[in-house]
Amino acid sequence: MATESDFKCLRCGHWFKTNYEKNKPEERTCPKCGSNSVRPMPEKKK
Amino acid sequence: MDVGRHPKINLLAYSEVEDISGYIGNFKVKVRKKARYVDEVECTSCDDCVDVCPVVVPKEHQLGLASRKAIYIPFPQAVPASYIIDEENCLGFNPIACGKCAEKCDKNCIDYDAKDEIVEFDVGSIIVASGLDVYDPTEFDEYGYTRFENVLTSMELEILTGPGGVTKGKLIRPTDRKVPKSIGFIQCVGSRCESRGTAYCSNICCMNTIKDTLLLREYYHDIDCKVFYMDIRAFGKGFEDFYRRSKALGVEYIRGIPGDIREDPKTKNLILSVENTTGNGIEEYELDMVVLSVGMVPRKDSNSINKLLTLQTTSDGLLMEVHPKLTPIDAPTAGVFFAGCCEAPKDIKDSVTQASGAAARAASILSKDKVKIPALTATVDDDLCKSCGICVKVCPYSAITIDMKAKEPAKIIEAACKGCGTCASECKFDAISMKHYNDAQIIAQIDAILEENPEEKVLVFACNWCSYPGADLVGISRMQYPTSSRIIRIMCTGRLDEKFILHALKLGAPIVLMSGCHPADCHYINASLKAQLRIEKLWNKLERKGIRPERVQFEWISASEVGKFVKTMEELEEFRKSVTKKEIEETKKILSKSKK
Ligand SMILES: [Zn+2]
Repeated sequence: MATESDFKCLRCGHWFKTNYEKNKPEERTCPKCGSNSVRPMPEKKK
Repeated sequence: MDVGRHPKINLLAYSEVEDISGYIGNFKVKVRKKARYVDEVECTSCDDCVDVCPVVVPKEHQLGLASRKAIYIPFPQAVPASYIIDEENCLGFNPIACGKCAEKCDKNCIDYDAKDEIVEFDVGSIIVASGLDVYDPTEFDEYGYTRFENVLTSMELEILTGPGGVTKGKLIRPTDRKVPKSIGFIQCVGSRCESRGTAYCSNICCMNTIKDTLLLREYYHDIDCKVFYMDIRAFGKGFEDFYRRSKALGVEYIRGIPGDIREDPKTKNLILSVENTTGNGIEEYELDMVVLSVGMVPRKDSNSINKLLTLQTTSDGLLMEVHPKLTPIDAPTAGVFFAGCCEAPKDIKDSVTQASGAAARAASILSKDKVKIPALTATVDDDLCKSCGICVKVCPYSAITIDMKAKEPAKIIEAACKGCGTCASECKFDAISMKHYNDAQIIAQIDAILEENPEEKVLVFACNWCSYPGADLVGISRMQYPTSSRIIRIMCTGRLDEKFILHALKLGAPIVLMSGCHPADCHYINASLKAQLRIEKLWNKLERKGIRPERVQFEWISASEVGKFVKTMEELEEFRKSVTKKEIEETKKILSKSKK
């Protein structure tokens, strides 16, 4: 089931939260810079 | 009926597909023909058996508004026009307690011992036209569908007013059997709703309601019709005119969806509270009857056919096409096509259009002895294959088979393979190779690009369909992107094996970019999302090794997004400058030491 998780944009470094389900990728976009290179950080701290 | 009579169409009514195997041009289909217990050839539909049958049950095709016998013809236009015995309700089975129909039938058409029959066919192409279900509004408790008799669904109104209906076309109010003086339609029940029903627009409901209001105003001139709506979607040829005609005939359109319906216990009239969003605030309306304009939802049993044909669905449960714009009729499984609502809700005209397209697509396969496919398919090295089955799981086209128990190597069904390369990228044993995009060819391109001054390059793997043409269009549009960019074309991001990225980093590449079609536009169903998942895993791997994940990036860039391509390359060029020679050397050292 999808839960809200942390994501980090690898382009601009912005952290944000959005839905995440393990092994169920979907198109995601950094809300700050618009890049798709956003990394799920479900168990990681800032 | 024409289909039933056509000499070249074999219509299997009252049957169920049990198994489908094979591939384009060579499908084997197993069908269970359910026992009808009535000889459909000899039966003349004389009705004698129906007259004597003592069992009365609600009629499915009248939504329970009418009744039928245990021996019956499902609906007036049914083909074949012969009876079926409803085994569940008939008293003639185990043990025989009745047998009246068999006694009455002069032609001895009744056979209680008839059995289901399994028939098998070889077919070259398959068209899926399994449709959608009508939404059941029971969960909208505020509308009292199960509590108030005068609240109907649009489907029930259709049956009431249809010529074959229980009232032979006369509209009556269920509680007093009188023609209602006022009727309200509530739009979007079960459509465009995230929490109940479906999130999508069911496409047909607005026009269906407009049609109903026109018919009602035509037959019952003084009937007061009100339509409660969010917005009327009357796109398409002639539809706006239809909407205007309805308004001109006096039908009142109120922008607002009622919050609830109450019933006057004495009159059984219905009282609707609604916020009129055109500025009049909360309003109340008392109406004789309310029709819930219900949407369409995926069939409850759709999973069985999806599994048989390895079809995929969208998050809404609708069948997914290979490509929503370029191949809107084709299923991912080669040789399988869609017609009608199973792919998306649509009206009769659009269903007929799509069905014609599907028939033409199927005919294009059947008219040839052999199917021509691009020579970009996968091949398996039997000696390297460990029969792990990963390729079978990841193939978007179900084009790979394997006998894992027998430890047989994977086999590619070349007629079904589209050459995305996902299997080759996911194979841990390098047992799968792609024709024309094999490992050696891609590695040779990486080597050539990074042979000199690798620290000055940004290496890009771009897909053939979106990002590579996107980069091309930058030049055609006389725009510029940084000269440090070096592009390697692959058919799909699905082909991007992590070993190519690691090889590039090992040779000193400061930044590697994977760029492909937006997942919703992926030309290989979901191969780009599988590539995204691999990159997400690679980021974790790089971090564990002490390499900054930021040095591997991906971007979904369509062929028309020239601006996005330029912006991405400019950003990555800036980022490249921040990757020091020391960091690059450190990465080379780490990757030279590690095995994989
Ligand atoms: Zn960002």
